[in-house]
Order: sequence, then structure tokens, then C-alpha cells
Amino acid sequence: MAKQRVVVVGGGLAGLAATMKLAELGIAVDCMSLTPVKRSHSVCAQGGINSVNELTRQQGDTEWLHLDDTVYGGDFLQHQPPVKEMAYAAPGIIDLMDRLGVPFNRTPEGFRDQRRFGGTLFKRTSFAGATTGQQLLYALDEQARRWHNAGAVEMYEGWDFLSPVIDEEGRCRGVVAQNLVTMEIRSFPADAVILATGGCGLIYGRSTMSMACTGSAVSRAAQVGAKYANAEFIQVHPTAIPGADKLRLMSESARGEGGRVWVPRKPHDPRDPKQIPESERYYFLEERYPKYGNLVPRDIATREIFDVCVNDGLSVDADRQCVYLDLTHISREELDRKLGGILHIYEKFQGVDPREYPMKIFPAVHYSMGGLWADYERAADGGLTLGSPRNHQTHIPGLFAIGECDYQYHGANRLGANSLLSCIFTGLIVAPGIENMFKSLKESAGDEKFASLLRGQRAVKQLEHDNLLKREGGRENPYVIHQELGDVMTKAATVVRRNDQLTAAIEKVNELAERVENCSLSDTGNWTNQNVVFTKALRDMFPVAKAILKGALARDECRGAHYKPAFDMPGIDATDPAEKRRQAEAWCDSFDEKNRKWLKTTIASIDKSGEPTLSYEDVDTSLIPPRPRLYGLVGAEVIEQVWKERQAEKTPQSDGPNGAATKAAVGAGVG
Amino acid sequence: MPVGFRAKDMTRVQDSPPSFLVRHEFLIRRLHSLSGLVPVGAFMCVHLLVNASVLESPAAFQKNVYQIHSLGSLLPVVEWVFIFIPILFHAIIGVVIVMGGIPNTGNYPYAANRRYTLQRVTGMIAFVFIAIHVFHMHGWIHQDTWLEKVVRPLGGAEFHPYSAASSAGLALQSYVMVAIYLIGVLACVFHLANGIWTMGITWGVWISPKAQKRASNVCAIFGLLLAIVGVGALFGMRADGAGERLIEARQVEDKMYEHKLESGELKPNEHKRGGGEVTKSEETSQVSVE
Amino acid sequence: MIADATPASKKPSSFEVRVLRQDAPGEPGYWERHQITYEPNLNVISVLQKIAALSTTADGKSTTPVAWDCNCLEEVCGACTMLVNGRTRQACSALVDRLLEDNPAGIELQPMSKFPVLRDLVVDRTRMYRALERVKAWIPVDGYGDRGAGPKESQEGQEVRYPLSECMTCGCCVEACPQFAKVELFQRSDESDAEFAERKNRAYDQAFIGAAAISQAILFNEHPTGHMNADERLEALSAPGGLQVCGNAQNCVAVCPKNIPLTTSIARAGRQLTGYMFRKFFDR
Repeated sequence: MAKQRVVVVGGGLAGLAATMKLAELGIAVDCMSLTPVKRSHSVCAQGGINSVNELTRQQGDTEWLHLDDTVYGGDFLQHQPPVKEMAYAAPGIIDLMDRLGVPFNRTPEGFRDQRRFGGTLFKRTSFAGATTGQQLLYALDEQARRWHNAGAVEMYEGWDFLSPVIDEEGRCRGVVAQNLVTMEIRSFPADAVILATGGCGLIYGRSTMSMACTGSAVSRAAQVGAKYANAEFIQVHPTAIPGADKLRLMSESARGEGGRVWVPRKPHDPRDPKQIPESERYYFLEERYPKYGNLVPRDIATREIFDVCVNDGLSVDADRQCVYLDLTHISREELDRKLGGILHIYEKFQGVDPREYPMKIFPAVHYSMGGLWADYERAADGGLTLGSPRNHQTHIPGLFAIGECDYQYHGANRLGANSLLSCIFTGLIVAPGIENMFKSLKESAGDEKFASLLRGQRAVKQLEHDNLLKREGGRENPYVIHQELGDVMTKAATVVRRNDQLTAAIEKVNELAERVENCSLSDTGNWTNQNVVFTKALRDMFPVAKAILKGALARDECRGAHYKPAFDMPGIDATDPAEKRRQAEAWCDSFDEKNRKWLKTTIASIDKSGEPTLSYEDVDTSLIPPRPRLYGLVGAEVIEQVWKERQAEKTPQSDGPNGAATKAAVGAGVG
Repeated sequence: MPVGFRAKDMTRVQDSPPSFLVRHEFLIRRLHSLSGLVPVGAFMCVHLLVNASVLESPAAFQKNVYQIHSLGSLLPVVEWVFIFIPILFHAIIGVVIVMGGIPNTGNYPYAANRRYTLQRVTGMIAFVFIAIHVFHMHGWIHQDTWLEKVVRPLGGAEFHPYSAASSAGLALQSYVMVAIYLIGVLACVFHLANGIWTMGITWGVWISPKAQKRASNVCAIFGLLLAIVGVGALFGMRADGAGERLIEARQVEDKMYEHKLESGELKPNEHKRGGGEVTKSEETSQVSVE
Repeated sequence: MIADATPASKKPSSFEVRVLRQDAPGEPGYWERHQITYEPNLNVISVLQKIAALSTTADGKSTTPVAWDCNCLEEVCGACTMLVNGRTRQACSALVDRLLEDNPAGIELQPMSKFPVLRDLVVDRTRMYRALERVKAWIPVDGYGDRGAGPKESQEGQEVRYPLSECMTCGCCVEACPQFAKVELFQRSDESDAEFAERKNRAYDQAFIGAAAISQAILFNEHPTGHMNADERLEALSAPGGLQVCGNAQNCVAVCPKNIPLTTSIARAGRQLTGYMFRKFFDR
């Protein structure tokens, strides 16, 4: 038997964590990435990485509460065992990253410093300046390089994953990939393939994601039998800097330090913003949410900014959507002291000094909570059975999904600083499962018997490639189609979703999907042809785009990032106590009903033509029972009271080892 | 920006085992750095300071020269071991270094980058100048046939240690020579002052940008002072090579020589005397050079 | 300072972009002119995107899209380094309004000159990653099991290491370095991929290591655990093509988009090597 190998596709945090862990276990790894792994999208993460720590413990924090915050923030849509395992593994992961040399910020005594993030009451977030993702990625990149130097890891940087190789039994036996420089198409035998290919923001045209985040790898796996879950859950960050090429993140801290969001009352007022008098400014967040003002939770801020621009037509600029985020009333010294870093980014990319002129910002697609469906094995303690080959395995045996491209950890909405954790965690735990799987496998994909399978599937991809290059007569421009796709998706499936718009969008996307087959390439050469690579990626965006739209259309409720005003559950408007009580009962009834119907994972099976079919799967909420997210809702106290009474009636159930779940129910904003 | 520069930039690509120079690159570069300060730079400081003593008086300069020549037959050994060989080493390795660089002040016109380029330019000038200077004053090798048949006919070996100021001054009368010496001395001074600054970084003496800035200020002041000394010596020497001052200088030198002969400190050596025919006419101070 | 806040009255309706193209390694370069419609707030990436979408030169001839590297577009991944008007920088943070202020005639784009061109503006920077292997730029931990937290570190220590750790291996420092010469090899017909890769690595290993890798060596030497094998890194830094090639032109620090104190690292490396040299000669 030839030596068994793993191909890791994607060299971000998750992929590199898996690579180094596999290498440590003595497993041969081929790590494949579109970009040199050090340039992966993980570098863009700024805020930090969450875990319970010594200090928060003294304030009553536990891993259980981290689990609770995460599932509450995610509106209970995630299976709880993997999340529990992650929360309990988190302190060890931070320690490991610390040992790997990540320059975490320090207290005067030399301990790691922590800051507070959205969705929790505790300072759980370790950070390294404003570039935590970059620092974590580099630490893993260094370890991967160490293993590469030792000969344990082969790096294939600049390779595009085209397809998993699947044998007649349906087991994954390798991958077919294409070199982005030489355009060589090659098959790589592998006994396990790990996809760690990140999000799919490019489906929205412009997002806060990097140019490699096309979602094409995931789509290619889904088109041959892996399934895509919770596609409709896309996190939109309220404040980003609109750019012609990309939407760059503008941290929430700008509002935390007193930044005010406004638009001119007169649509597209051409005046210099500083010349517009107070009376002609619309501070819509402050007016609509007098209590919370500009610091409403992220999802609400996102929705309101969107609403003011799209529905009220009050965007600052006529040709693009944006609102002012105004810091000019704060002194320069204070701004430089507290916000210097992020203001520098704005200045660098916009060429405008935000201390002098209000910033122009708009919400932007930021993270895909959904992703490839992946399995897990529940342990008796409610966590995961570590070392089980089922963990993170997709519907295709031997094909695993980890990091942002799986769907498991963030439910309907991700908490800030949990994504870095989930990426590293999944990378580390997938490795021992594969080690065990290898022990039970009696053969290796490198064996002669698989040679013709690998050759055959390579030939299929080569033919597809050659045909694409040779295609003539098509008049469609892939870049234009991408732009149109982005426009449709951004309009219909971001912040506010309406069934009529989604239906129309599906029609439009279907039409674009047909047109994309008619793309003509302006470059038909076979050397570093980015034109053909992009066209392939674009084509593979459609199945995922359709899954997002279909999932959103079908899901008639509001949950986390998925907001449909038609199915919103408004608060209580009665003043009479009895009527209030009755309304609260009714509210809780409909909440139960909603969960019965929709507390389910959306699973899209994608057929050969790229068309998704939806099915639903129950969510394991055995550890922490779902409860209403009442943040900012009118009449929340009454509803909460009714809810608690009902819970008490049901069973004297334990709600966690320390009964902490209810305590955390008063959780703060969720981001 | 030319398009066809690619091939020539591909330096040092080779399959053969690395050469001696490459294998010991670190040591050689450190020795190169060190030799620039000790002995070459240190010698230059002493040399310029001794020369500048001519500004005090030709006698003071002559006295210093006698002191140096008191080494007698050891002098050539000292010259070669502590001066010529280190200079040659510094210069030859310097040429190798210069060949490995691709100056780019056009696109990156920063002060430190300009100094980088200037360091190489002045190094090259210094190399050529020192060769000319040593030939012009010293003759390279003190071997009679070589001196008589080659050097003197070409206007070299002009310096006569027992007639120090006058012979040197006479040798510096032409404008061309003065220009060469002025450029040469200033190049050497810049090269040393800037070289001390880069050496401090190379050996890790000044580390932070602030420390490097302070060091560069100190080096600049040092360079300025040394330039004053060097230029002063040059023009002082030149002034003693013409007119009344030449005659006076020669008289003093002759007196000192005779005194030394009398006291038995020196044996007669006419080779080390003279240079030019110093005469005094009634009307003008006439100087003629053989 | 403020480019956008005033109405765009003096802006041109379009501007010229000249791109130095090259079809494949070893082939001659050629200039191609493109006419781009002006919009406010463009950067060089969006200009290249427009060129790709248009696929037409300024003379109306149809052409292939210009190939270029990019990923994050917020100057943190380091992919899109190129020469913009002759100077090395990231294309994403090169704002067209600023560039046209400095040079209204247009914008000139070239690939980095110190790395082999793969196509157009795409270059092969594997030499930089190889350099990181040369200096063993990693912490040699025992393993990835649970061994508690890493060593404590002072705030000052973190403040020294953090800036160095921001290096994104973009290549600006070595592109601007007059001591860093291009190394470009071509595969021989009788040579396998592996043999060629090995020959390339041999060539890279002799050539100047560059400021980025020197600074990374210092980053790890400053870490309490990394310090344990500091001598290995110093040995690498004193090998052929090591620190000694530095000519102190200090362009590296001037062009570094992350303002990494590269020359401080270089001087620190010099000091450590001075000590190492004496230890090596006299301690054994």
C-alpha cells in the first residue's frame, strides 16, 4: 500500500491548522491554495479570538457560558455539541497560539490582555493589535513552513481546486486541480481531502472578503454530492467603506467612541456635509432608537442604514449607497488617541481625512455562516467524540469541510471573534479523526488500482477546460455578468429580504446562469490565464447563489442575519396588564410555533445542472434549550416572564452544569 | 525604464560550488568594514593631520616627517602591511561590492539611498585618487630603476621626505593636480565619515532610528572637520610650494637636514632631498621644476 | 491632503494607463496603452479590473486582460505589489486621484523588477518564502498538545515584536533594495520539476536574503522560545547572501507599507552577529 496522504485545500487559519496537526501526527500532507498561504483571507480579521480566561472565570465566566453566548447569538440554529467542544477547547487553543509566538497584547505584568466584544458580558477576546487574524495566520504559516522545510508537507500554492475525485463507491480518493501559472491540470491522490476554502462573499460582487473568496471550491464539491447547509445566513456588517473594488471594514469602535450616523434630509444633497445645518440632517438611528442611538446592535444598525438608503432613497450619493459616519465633532487629539488605526485605513483608501470630513459608509457582506454540511459524533457529555472520523466529514466519505466553509458553529449569526476560534479549532480536531480513518482504510489512493480513476477524472476536467478555451461565438462578458450577479444578490439577499424580491432574484440569477454558459473569453491562451480561471469560478458561484436565494425564500421567519419584515414578531403594544399578559402568551406561542417549523438546518442538495433542492434537518439543541432573543424589543420583560414560567412548568430540567443559561439570557447585543 | 535589463541582473546564478569569496563572504565583508576604519581610516586621519601641520610651519611638518622616517628600513614594511595592503584589500573588495549593487536613486531619492550611491562613487574616486596620489608623491615601489625609468619621467615620486613641505608644495602647483587632490581628498573624507556611520549599523553599534540619526550627525560633523583639515593641508602645502614661502621652506628644511647630519641622526641621502630647482632671482621669485 | 471632499471639477474625463506586459517568463516586455474613464475614488486595482472587463487597448485593438496578483485589497495580504509610476507599492492602496495629482499624464504600471515575471504584472516571489526557511522563521515548539500558556512577555517586548510580525512578505523592501539582484532561472528540457525546484533553491540560497527575512530572524530571536535557537538563525544570516550583503541604503524601511523598522532589525542583527562571531571563534 502506498503511503496514505491528505490533501488540504485552502491555506487560511483552518487549512494551516489542519496541515500542521496532520504533519505532527506523521501524516503526509499536500496543502493546496489559490494564493501563497500567507496571503489568505484570514489576514483580514482584526478584532480578536474568544476564550474563557483566568480573569473572566473569576467573574463567573465558564466555557458553558461561552457556549451559551454563541448559540444564543446564533439564534440556536447550530448543533450544540460541536459548539460546546469548541468553547471548552478555546482556552487551550489560545495557549497554543501563544506558544507559537503570536504577539498578543500584554498587561503590564506580562499576561495576555483581553478586550470585550459583542454578544457577551465578559472580556474574553485576546488580540494582537488590530491585526489578530494576520498574526494568528502567520503563526500557523510559520509552522507549516517548518514542516515543509522538514519534508513532511508539500505546498501547492497557486493551484485552483477543480473537483474532488470520487470512486464508484462514492468515496473521495483525491482532487483534480489546476496550476494558475502553467494551467496544468493534475490529479492528486488523497485518502482524505479537507476543504478549508473560506467564505463566498464574491457572489455578492463586492464584500469585505478577499478576491479568493469566490466559494467556487465549495460549489464544486456540492455539485458532486456534498451538501450545502444554511446558505441563506450571510452576515452583513453595518459599517464598511464602499470602494470601487472592495468594501473595507470600518470597525464598530468608531460609533463606540461617539461617531454619529446621519444622512441629509434632502436626497443626494450636493453640499459639503459641513455646510449642511443640523436641522437638515437626519440622525436616523438616534431618532428611531432614542435609547440606544448609534450603538444599536449590529444587525439593527445594518437594517436601518440599508432601509434609509434603499427604501427612503436618502443615500448621500446619488450613484451609490452610503451614509455619513461623522466623527468631526470629536477633537483630533482624542480621535488619534482612540481610533488612529482605523482612521488611517480610511484616509489611506479614501484619500479623505475623517477627522475633517464625515466618513461615507455602508453595510457590507462580511461572513457566510452557512457552508458545506458536515457531520459530527456526539459524545456522552454533550461534546464531540474526539478522534471520530465523522467529525467534519461531508456527505462524501473522505471529504471534510472546516473553517468558514463549513456550517457548524455560528448558526444564524456569528459572534465577533468566534470565527478565528472556529477556524483553528476545526483544523485541529479534524486531524485525529483522519488519523483514525486511515487506520481503518485498507488501501491508499496512491495504489495502482486508483490510477485510472484519477487519470479519468483529470481528463474530464482537461476536456472541460479545453472546451471553455475553444468556445466561440459567445458574446457574454464574464466580468459584466459577475457585476450583475453581485447587484442582484446584494439587492435581494442581504439585510432585508422580501419574498417578491427573492422570487424575482431567482429568475434573474437563473437567466444569468444561462448567460454565463455563453461567455466568450478575451484570453484563450494557456499560460497564467486569469480570464478562464475567473470564468470557471463565476460559473460555480451560481449553484451557491441559488442555494442562498432559495433558502432565503423558503425560510418564512426572522432568525439571526435572516430578516424578513413580513414575518417579524413585533413587541407588545398593550398597556393594560391583562392584555399585555395575553399578548405575551400569544408571542410565546408563536415563538414556539416558529421554532417548531423553522429551527431547522436548511440543506441544499445540488444536482448536476447546478440546481439546489432544499430539505431540512433538526438541530441538536439538547444542551441549551432555545429561548427568545428579546434585545431591544418592546415589552421584553413581560415576554421573558411568561417564557420563564413556561420553562419552569415543562420539566425541572437542568440547564447546564451550573444553571448559568438563564443568567446569560440577558445577553447584550449580538454581532 | 528599459525593458531589456533582465539578463544582466541575474548575478551569481551558478551551479558550480560557491567560490572562496562567496563561502567566506561574511568574514570578508566584516574585515572590509573593519579595514575601512582600522587601519585605513585611522591612517588617513593621521596622514591629513600630519599634513595639516604644514599650516603651522614647514618646519613642524618636516619634524613630523622625520619622526615617521625614523623607522628607517622598517618603513616600507609598515607602509605595505598597515597601509597599502589594507587599502588594496578594502579597494578590491569594494569594487566587488560596487559591482553587486544596482543603484536606484532615480525612483527612490531618499537621503540614505543617495548616500549609498555616493559611498560607492566616492569609494571608486578614492581608489583612483589614492593610486594617483601614491604614484605622484611616493612612486608606488621604491626601487631605483622603476623610479628613474618609469615614475619620474611620468611626473611621479615627487615627494622628498627631507624636503617635505617644499617638494610636496611644488608638486601641487598645477591646477589640474589641485583639482584632483581636492576631489580626491573630499571623496576620501566623505567615504570615511559615511563609512563609519554604516559600519556602526553593520556591527550593531547604533540600532534605533534615533540612534542612527544621532550617529549620522556626529559622523557629519567629523567629516566636516576632517574635510577642513584635509583641504587646509592641501592648500597649505600648495602655498609652501611657490614664491617666497617655497624658498623659506627649503631653507628651513635644508637647515634641519644639515643639523641632523651633524648630530649623526641621518646619513646623507640626496634622493630624499630636493625636488625642483629652487632659485631666487633679483626680480622675481622664480621656481622651475625639472 | 483632501482629494475627494471638493467637487471633482478639475478632474479629467479619462486618463491613460501604460502597462508593461510580458506574455511569459523570458519573453520580451512590451508597453500597452489603455484609456480609462475617470471616476472618483478609483484605485489601481479597480483600474486593472476595468482593463480586464474592457479587453481593448487605447487604440481600440482587442487584447487579453492584464494578469495581476491581488487578494485582500486592503493592504494586509501583500499580493498586489507592483511598480506604480516606477515605485514599488501595493496596487490596492495606490489611489488614482493621488497619482493623477502627482502625474496628470497618466499612470504607469510595471511588474516588480527583482523577481521573475510569470506574466504581465504577476511575479514569482517564492524566493522570499525560501528566505524565511533559510532563517528558520518559526518557533520550534515541542508539539501542539496542551502545555499551558506561552512565555510571559513584557509590554515592551510585545511592542518590539508586533511591528515585525506585521510583515506580509510583499517584497517592497527587496524591490527597492539596490543590493537585491534578480535571480531568474529557466527549466532545462532534461530537468524534472523537482530538479528544477532544487536548482532554484540553491540559487536563491546563495543570493541576498533581503530585509524582510532578516527582520523575521530578529522577530524570532527576540521571542523567549525562539531565542533558544537564535544561533541557527544567526548562522543562516552569516551564510553567503546573508546580512553582510546589506549596503545600508535603507530604502527598505522607506518603502515598507507597514512601516516596519527594518533597519532597526538589520542593525540588531548586526549586533547579534558581532556577538555570535566572537562566541563562535572563541567559545569553542
